[in-house]
Amino acid sequence: MVHVPGLNYYPYYVGGLAVMTLYSTAIYIGFDIYEEAEHGVFEYLLSLPVSRRQLALGRSIGGGLRAFIYVGPLMAVSLFVIGALNPLNFLMALLSLFLLAFGLSGMSITFAVLIKSSDRFDIFMGILDALIVQLSTVMYPLSVVTQTNPLYGGLAQFNPVSFGSDLFRWGTGVESIITISNPLLPLLGIVIFFSFFTFVGIVIYDKHIEGGGWQ
Amino acid sequence: MSAVLSIVEYDFRNFFRYKMWLVGLISMNLANLFIQALIYNHMLSAAVRLSIGNYFNFFAPGLTVTGLFASAFMIGREINMERRREVHHYMLSLPMTRLELAVGRVLSGGSRGMVYMIPLLLTCFAFVGVPSFSQLLLILAVLFLLAMGISGLSIAIAVSTSNLEKFITARGAIYYALFFCSSVFYPLSLIQTLGQEGKFPVPLVILAEINPLTNAADMIRSFLMGTPKFFVGMIFDVVIFSVIFTFIAAFAYIEIITRQV
Repeated sequence: MVHVPGLNYYPYYVGGLAVMTLYSTAIYIGFDIYEEAEHGVFEYLLSLPVSRRQLALGRSIGGGLRAFIYVGPLMAVSLFVIGALNPLNFLMALLSLFLLAFGLSGMSITFAVLIKSSDRFDIFMGILDALIVQLSTVMYPLSVVTQTNPLYGGLAQFNPVSFGSDLFRWGTGVESIITISNPLLPLLGIVIFFSFFTFVGIVIYDKHIEGGGWQ
Repeated sequence: MSAVLSIVEYDFRNFFRYKMWLVGLISMNLANLFIQALIYNHMLSAAVRLSIGNYFNFFAPGLTVTGLFASAFMIGREINMERRREVHHYMLSLPMTRLELAVGRVLSGGSRGMVYMIPLLLTCFAFVGVPSFSQLLLILAVLFLLAMGISGLSIAIAVSTSNLEKFITARGAIYYALFFCSSVFYPLSLIQTLGQEGKFPVPLVILAEINPLTNAADMIRSFLMGTPKFFVGMIFDVVIFSVIFTFIAAFAYIEIITRQV
């Protein structure tokens, strides 16, 4: 159905699918926060002998790690379908995907604590999901996105999900699906995204939860 | 009849309590159309382009059906929540027969689906084409029947489990089976060709052919784009689906909810 010159679309899409699933799983931590608040677990967590910052950082790492574990089998299947692997490249791609999952969890926690209503959070994340996934290179290469609309292309170019999917494909070492020449730029993008949402997330979490401020 | 209308009113009040949620859902659907469909339009192979023309136009009717499915399915989530929170005891205590209660729930689920779907259908008409008056009536009638069937399917699942996660899992499984084995995202002829070439399992090809989502989306396409060709079987398929699931839902709602008391 789809034809893009110089690109084998099926493995390209399979690679993107793994990153798309990683995104959906990593942001789920925000919904857990509302669930905990509803069942009074939040107070228990606040009573633990750990600092607020450690708690927030732990939640981000936990959210990223469990997303990574959840998507692990899908990644293995993706690699099998794509059919090749460059071990060194792939290790670097895995590390960047972990940072991406970590950053996405931090982003989800940040928004969950800021929005404070599970319904509004649900709506917001749904719209963000639609925009962040569709305006990325998860399903289509950047050249086609830019050709469709330069604004879409500009947004897709600086999208962390684009960085993750481009690096994952690069990590496989399969030429027909690689669309980046320099992996350092997307890697840098992921590191900035991860750093921003982890540290901003910690500060916001720290400031918004005292005295029932999260309610 | 007034009892049924009271239930419909009750469900509509619940529906409009989540205005922002509905706006969010419509925004997501429109993002699918104005981002994803536009981009895929630049990636179509020559053969598919020849068969369907413009992917944006092809996808718009499919998206209308997608929106209808999502909103008609919402009633199941509410009924499942009522069951978990035991609100169904209150519902059963209302001065109306069980049948009126069940019919009211299925009817409101379907009607709410139609209300949600209207902006998507209008977008479809604005960009793809405007049907004749008789075609419009037929489109609305078929989509209403489809919404009733989906609502029935959703209610039947919702009352079968008191666990929200099981309900959501079942909804996801049904969503993927019905949407990916349908002509919502790609033409039925392509699925049939892949089936003939042995690249797609034959049972899934059959599922795509009898899938009411395929027939509803293709009927709209046939009126607005002239392809695929319209045939009466498209309507019958949706009618059969609707009748089966409306009855199953009414029966399941009465039997299972009453059994819990």
